[in-house]
Amino acid sequence: MSIETLTAPPSRWNGLLPLWRQTPLSFRIGLIILLIHFVIAATGPFWAPYGYSQMGTGRPLSGMSWAHPFGVDQLGRDIFSRVVHGAHIVILLSLSGTLLGLIIGAVLGLLSGYVGGWFDEILQRFLEALISIPFLVLALIAIAAAGPELSGNPVLIVLVVALVYAPRIARMARTVAVDIATRDYVTVARLRGESAWSVMRRELLPNATSVLLVEFALRAGYAPVLIGSLGFLGFGLRPPTPEWGLMISENRALIMITPITVLGPGLALASLVVGLNLFTEGLARILGRTVKLGVQ
Amino acid sequence: MTILKLVIRRSLMSVVTLLLVSLIIFSMLEVLPGDVASRILGRDATPETLEQLRTELGLDRPAPVRYLSWLGGLVTGDLGNSLASSRPVSEILAPRILNTVLLSVYAFLIYLPLTFIPALLQALHRDRATDHAFSVVTLVLLSVPDFLLATILLLTFVVMLPLLPAISLVDASSSAWEYLRAMTLPALTLAIVMAVYAVRMLRDNLIEVLDSDYIRMAELKGLSRRRVLLRHALPNALVPTLNVTALNLAYLVGGVVVVEKVFSYPGFGSLLVDSLQLRDLPVVEATVMIAAFVYVVANLIADVAAILLNPRLRNG
Repeated sequence: MSIETLTAPPSRWNGLLPLWRQTPLSFRIGLIILLIHFVIAATGPFWAPYGYSQMGTGRPLSGMSWAHPFGVDQLGRDIFSRVVHGAHIVILLSLSGTLLGLIIGAVLGLLSGYVGGWFDEILQRFLEALISIPFLVLALIAIAAAGPELSGNPVLIVLVVALVYAPRIARMARTVAVDIATRDYVTVARLRGESAWSVMRRELLPNATSVLLVEFALRAGYAPVLIGSLGFLGFGLRPPTPEWGLMISENRALIMITPITVLGPGLALASLVVGLNLFTEGLARILGRTVKLGVQ
Repeated sequence: MTILKLVIRRSLMSVVTLLLVSLIIFSMLEVLPGDVASRILGRDATPETLEQLRTELGLDRPAPVRYLSWLGGLVTGDLGNSLASSRPVSEILAPRILNTVLLSVYAFLIYLPLTFIPALLQALHRDRATDHAFSVVTLVLLSVPDFLLATILLLTFVVMLPLLPAISLVDASSSAWEYLRAMTLPALTLAIVMAVYAVRMLRDNLIEVLDSDYIRMAELKGLSRRRVLLRHALPNALVPTLNVTALNLAYLVGGVVVVEKVFSYPGFGSLLVDSLQLRDLPVVEATVMIAAFVYVVANLIADVAAILLNPRLRNG
């Protein structure tokens, strides 16, 4: 009887713990911050002390207290409850917008890099033009173009995030595709007579996964800021939605009296982005890639 | 010859990009969502006023014709008239652009020490407490949105230490001192956002250079650390940082939109937001084209500089 059969088979968790210990510190801290945010987003609406638009929860414009950790706004709404209720909105919109941008960008970029020729040339010029418009400006004119009926619609926000990200992700995916397209296994697949779509799905995509994962994390880290900026400028979600950027803008006039009503949502937004950025940096290190945080 | 060819090719690409930008903006704002006149008039529209506005704006002409005449106007500097105030767009834009240029210059002046001092300190004390502390600070600052940073600075320098004005309203009659006071907080916000990103880049570049053979050579010669860092490492780490500066200029074009709005500074960014709210399309279109123009030119300069600085191409 060999020694291997005598020792107990390692359980799933025994295998995960050493793996966890090997991950960079930034990744672990980032993941923990993200988990806290996700748990709040998923369960918050069930335990938040008040409703997100419930008025008269306390004396209007009162500051930090045990009953109201982030104070009370002009309308008597509890800011802590609003921040908690807003978590799932911010996270869901950010992730779905980034995911949509990733899908569109990856398909366009990989196909364009693989197919090449005039299709690639025209698409690249077009994407370059979209990237040349500062992302916030592009987002603002897209919202203006959608017209007043759609403004404040969460679906529009998701589409706008995707519109801003897709060209940037496509450019990244194209670089990968151009690099892989000359490899032998791609040539073999092409000679087998596979279509461009099938080559992309079976050969290019699996090889671009790590690049796309890092790209997704990097973009997702900026999406809450983009959504918050739109809300802050009055082009994002509509009141009384408890979106954090919108709340910062609503309570900014009261900053002289109750700074905590601005700093509370600000803390939520900044900590989510810190978590995403740390996670991205760690993920890039695990996958053996470099990432420049803050590159828009 | 190769260099000249590369530069010309690169410049032509920039022109094509700008043409496409104009096409995208025009189609997004004027073609896609149906009728501009009814969007301008909104709920107050009656068939008569709609018809009148359409003729006034030349909307009865087909879209390609309108695009070409708009583009022709852009190239010759005729940006049309504002819908909100019926003044020429160029007359509205000029003082706003001047204000934003002043603000950007001020921001860049603050940005330089904010970038170089932390990056050099980090490189000198790499992997020690100073380095780690700055890395944490820059990572956190990187994650603070510019509108929140602006609000926190406002809280600090206006509410807690009442040194600066909360609202940066200036006009032609303001004195230079008033201008400087008004611009300090918006400029500081922009400078911090730009510096945070550049510090991280410059630190990595410096450390990469410090690990190279010629630096070890300089150290072996017995030169002081300070001299090695400033005379040998810094100039070589600056080249990759050039790209960051171009990217930062690109950020600035978008960043002024939020920051100027927070401080009510009458620049080009707040003009864009205001005219979007008023649905003043000629002003919006001109502003967006200028933003894209700055971005494209900044990237062109960075690329051309990279071509010129590349020794392999220089001798070609």
